[in-house]
Amino acid sequence: MTRVAAPKLLLVLALALAAVYLFPLYWMYATSLKGASEIFANPPTFWPREPDFSIFPATWERRTMDTFLWNSLVIATGVTTLTVLLGTGCAYVLARYRNPWIDIGLFAILMLQVLPASVMITPLYVGFNQIGLLDYPRTAVIIAAAGKSIPFYIVLVRATFMSVPSELEEAALVDGNSRWGAFFFIVLPLARNGILVLAILTFMQAFGEYIYSKSIITTQSLQPASVGLSGFLGPNSTDWNGIMAYAAMYVTPIILVFVILQRRIVSGLTSGALK
Amino acid sequence: MRRILSSITDGKGFDLIMVGVTMLFLFALAGVPLVYNVVMSFQQVDMFNLNTFSRPFAGFENYVAIVSQPEFWLVIRNTAIFVFGSIAGQFIFGFALAIFFMLSFPFASTIRGLFLVSWVMPGLVVGALWGWILAGDFGVLNAILRGLGIIDGTMFWKSDPNLSIWAVTIANIWLGLAFNMMLLSVGLAGIPRDLYEAAELDGANGWQRFTTITLPMMRSTIGAVLALGLIYTLQQFDLFPAITEGGPANSSNVAQYWAWQWSFQLFDFAKGATVSMMMLIFVLVASIVYVRSTRHEVRG
Repeated sequence: MTRVAAPKLLLVLALALAAVYLFPLYWMYATSLKGASEIFANPPTFWPREPDFSIFPATWERRTMDTFLWNSLVIATGVTTLTVLLGTGCAYVLARYRNPWIDIGLFAILMLQVLPASVMITPLYVGFNQIGLLDYPRTAVIIAAAGKSIPFYIVLVRATFMSVPSELEEAALVDGNSRWGAFFFIVLPLARNGILVLAILTFMQAFGEYIYSKSIITTQSLQPASVGLSGFLGPNSTDWNGIMAYAAMYVTPIILVFVILQRRIVSGLTSGALK
Repeated sequence: MRRILSSITDGKGFDLIMVGVTMLFLFALAGVPLVYNVVMSFQQVDMFNLNTFSRPFAGFENYVAIVSQPEFWLVIRNTAIFVFGSIAGQFIFGFALAIFFMLSFPFASTIRGLFLVSWVMPGLVVGALWGWILAGDFGVLNAILRGLGIIDGTMFWKSDPNLSIWAVTIANIWLGLAFNMMLLSVGLAGIPRDLYEAAELDGANGWQRFTTITLPMMRSTIGAVLALGLIYTLQQFDLFPAITEGGPANSSNVAQYWAWQWSFQLFDFAKGATVSMMMLIFVLVASIVYVRSTRHEVRG
């Protein structure tokens, strides 16, 4: 740890590390632009010889990506809405008080956060089947996935609320606001940024949700993009440029949002995640 | 009535509604299914009684049947390799990178933030990327390793039973590394700088500073990161259907994927519930460690 080492040298090293780490992403884009024979070249070409962009519209058409992505959008929007509606108020109350009941609530939420989706899917599927919810498969997935993302959201949004000074809220109450008024007009606007970042994070996660959709949605026209991708992916896949083109179209929006909001996402995540 | 109303607008009723509705939802979506899962693991469940609650009681039959499956120990072994391999890889590389990015140079935090892009990508896409990178004959990893002179022949990462679990583990290390690094960076940033300066004045070298300051000061962070690593690794599912589908011959099958296969490929929901229950025991142990190491901050 020589702190005087040339910062420029360290910067170069850091960029090299990032390049190695992000190589899989580069490889996705590079492969998608290669022709059907070039992907099997040995040794592989690191830069596509004749970049062919027609693969994107072709894959979009052939894999009915408009339907898949629309379903992903519906599911992600539903999950995010439900999570924000149910999680925000709860996180606020859990941030405002400190007593044994709150500790029990927090403990319960932390425990819920750790349940693997692969454990929950069996009883959820059987239970949903019994109450007839499987007839509305996308709704069923939204509810199940929201149950998974709410605990995570509460833990992080609670950290945001803890940083809102309670004096402001008390002043609003003295001025004659109801609790609801103080919450909606004073506290929420102050915590807006943190809530927004976590809502986006919830959205991105729900956009890639796989296991619940795969298990619950059997009608192809209702499946999200993750299930659509799994349809032509497996140990024996060969259509790699098509798969990479599909993957690229699927994740590029997520990557763009992430790069634009990177700073905020990272700080929103680290403020409460671990500690 | 009036008192209830005014409590809802101005008093405790407000808090109770805010917490109560959410807790009820979570109870219905997590608490009830969890109990139901325990019940099912002691029942005979088939396609005919899937819709009723009165199913024949099976005692420990499901558990006995699962343990006597020929692949049971293989799955346990694979789960252990996947969990410990992933945690070790993510933690060691994550810690090294976190320390590196604590050095002061321009754009350090921006470049570090870029790493986290792996964490927001859909698991299935990450699986697809690594499935292609790790492909036997045409995969780029083999080409790179050959180019560096590390291997001579071809490593069939996905189809060699000795390697297949490692293929998924490598992908999972890549996926979780950035998150580990981020959490460890938070811990490192919390160590007062003057401790290092004082140690340096006393003549401690880099390694001594690491073992006598960094590690002890990071103890609770490291505990939480490792516990979270265990929790997230046991939650990892998407990579398996994307890369190996548990094969060949279950050589890369792990508990979480096996449980899903029982329920959704063999439609034996009772066995699926049973494997889930066994796995849950490990998750609970990890979560107790995690909750203990976060407790004082959460109250904070």
